[in-house]
Amino acid sequence: MFRPKLLFTSLAALALGACAPQDPQAVTSAALAKQVILPTYSQWVDADRQLAQSALAFCQGTESLDKARADFLAAQKAWAALQPLLIGPLAEGNRPWSVQFWPDKKNLVGRQVEQLVAGGAVDAASLAKASVVVQGLSAYEYILFDSKPEVADSARKASYCPLLVAIGAHQKALAEDILEGWKRNDGMLSQLSTFPNQRYADAHEAIADLLRAQVTALDSLKKKLGAPMGRQSKGVPQPYQAEAWRSQASLKSLQASLNAAQAVWNGVDGKGLRNLLPGDQKPLAQKIDAAYAVAGKALADNTKTLTELLADPAGLQTLNHLYDSLNTVHRLHEGELARALNIQLGFNANDGD
Amino acid sequence: MAGNRGATPLLLSARDDAQGGHYAVGYRLDGRVAFSTPVSQRCHAIIEHPSQPLALFVARRPGTECYLLDLRDGRLVQTLHARPGRHFYGHAVIHSSGEWLYTTENDTTEPGKGVVGLYRFTGEHLAFAGELTTHGVGPHELAWMPDGETLVVANGGIRTEAESRVDMNLDAMAPSLVLMHRDGTLISKETLAQPMNSIRHLAIAHDGTVAACQQFMGSAEDVAPLLAIKRPGEAFIPFPVSDAQLRSMGHYTASVAINDELRLVAITAPRSNRFFVWHLDTAEVKVDAPMPDCAGVAAVKGGFVVTSGQGRCRYYSAHTGQWLGTPMDLPSAYWDNHVQVVGL
Repeated sequence: MFRPKLLFTSLAALALGACAPQDPQAVTSAALAKQVILPTYSQWVDADRQLAQSALAFCQGTESLDKARADFLAAQKAWAALQPLLIGPLAEGNRPWSVQFWPDKKNLVGRQVEQLVAGGAVDAASLAKASVVVQGLSAYEYILFDSKPEVADSARKASYCPLLVAIGAHQKALAEDILEGWKRNDGMLSQLSTFPNQRYADAHEAIADLLRAQVTALDSLKKKLGAPMGRQSKGVPQPYQAEAWRSQASLKSLQASLNAAQAVWNGVDGKGLRNLLPGDQKPLAQKIDAAYAVAGKALADNTKTLTELLADPAGLQTLNHLYDSLNTVHRLHEGELARALNIQLGFNANDGD
Repeated sequence: MAGNRGATPLLLSARDDAQGGHYAVGYRLDGRVAFSTPVSQRCHAIIEHPSQPLALFVARRPGTECYLLDLRDGRLVQTLHARPGRHFYGHAVIHSSGEWLYTTENDTTEPGKGVVGLYRFTGEHLAFAGELTTHGVGPHELAWMPDGETLVVANGGIRTEAESRVDMNLDAMAPSLVLMHRDGTLISKETLAQPMNSIRHLAIAHDGTVAACQQFMGSAEDVAPLLAIKRPGEAFIPFPVSDAQLRSMGHYTASVAINDELRLVAITAPRSNRFFVWHLDTAEVKVDAPMPDCAGVAAVKGGFVVTSGQGRCRYYSAHTGQWLGTPMDLPSAYWDNHVQVVGL
């Protein structure tokens, strides 16, 4: 019969078309941009839209403090998931600082929020001119969670609300602006997909940039754990140096960031960094798979907050194990993976003069 | 730039290959290699001789060898060894007479004590001639003022030991910008507000304006002026750069260059993979663009050439009012911090 033959011919033609040789790095970069990074940015926008709405509702009295806190935690999680994907416009200028002000060794967030609130009602315009310290999630968190004074008191609530609403709106606008920029003709989605462009001379530069963002984020995860553990303060735990300590979201944030990093490693349908490794690098791929698994399990098995873990030797032991596992993931990316992909991460940035 | 070589423009830089081998290289602007001379130690800055077709590739801290090369063929003319108890700090200058070489060095018997090594050219040959103080700690770059007799020294303020790049005194840093006669006499010594803001690289305009770029060793959440300026007759102060821009530099700048013709100053920030250009007088932002691992920058006609550790070179120029980074076809490999353009 003719039909099977025709089917075979058209299938063959399709197969041949799909086999047209393409630079694997370009394919991976484009796939990661479209299937991993852009969706995560979209989720961030959604979470911030919800945050803006939540601030209004909470301040109008139609939403409870518990719900407002839950909406904040969702926004914090969405931001944490972006950490390994901080590439392009969001990574530039002081934008990361205006979303989250960390580290904050001198409690600038607490002090500056109080100063700002004491100075009268804040609106969108005055927030835009204020310091990055008060523009983001860290300040929002302070208002909703810091126990002195408790925001549930209605008089105090009324004094904080203008700032809360302004921050919600500010974050929503920032997120929408970033996402829109990504989708423009000459935006990041395009720059990660077709080469050459104003940002990347070729796909290899794009992959290098993606790996660089990963390594920076993984290093940052270590710092986010190491600082409260006391690694920078001669072993004395510093609970207030943790990210999102007020909302007790430190470890959940870490987990979201690590999961996002793993998503870049695996990609969707196998189009991730893992796929770029040559065949003889299978042991390395497995090492990295295992490293992610160990760190992921350590986080998933844990039920305590960071503050609780910092409080006793058993908890500190758990944290040490977690730190070591994060370190393994980081070092594998920074060293062997970079070398295997022929990427020089920072000849000058790390060891210039 | 010295004339009469008849040579086409060359980009000089220190470069490592993928296996970590060190080279002193010269490339033509179209990407063809002029020479690639293997050397034992990684180099940092390169200075050309004012009248002879020679260039000195200076050892990167804490190296002990500088390489004098013939620019016509890359021939290694002489390896200049550091004296006992001394190592080089990556930079040097040659007096316009062509007779005297000044290098920044570390007195490792008193780590961090900054000295200037004085060497004399006799024909192609260099010999040690004496030592001066840099009046500060941890000198890095030095440069000539337009008079060709006054030296500007960027004292980074960090103590490091011999054979090590470990910072010893981050909690007691003492950076300074020093002006001194080449006989060692101190003219001025100035600092910026934050001791942990290490003054490291210099660019001097034809009118004597000094631009310095810094590396901040302090906390991530602080902001520090990574570009500072000393206009003729004025004090050394931060250059007007917005907080947003400063925060986007990752506390680390690699090189600074001035384009005299256009009155522009450029810096590279490899940790944030960003390249910046401002107008030197109005401080108007001209370029604020991404460039992975960018480090070396040099002024050329119409703009700047920027190199990256990834081996990318881009020619940045204002073209119908727009700044474009045109990738240059130079081979990939690991290009060091500084690029020197000769023969233009």
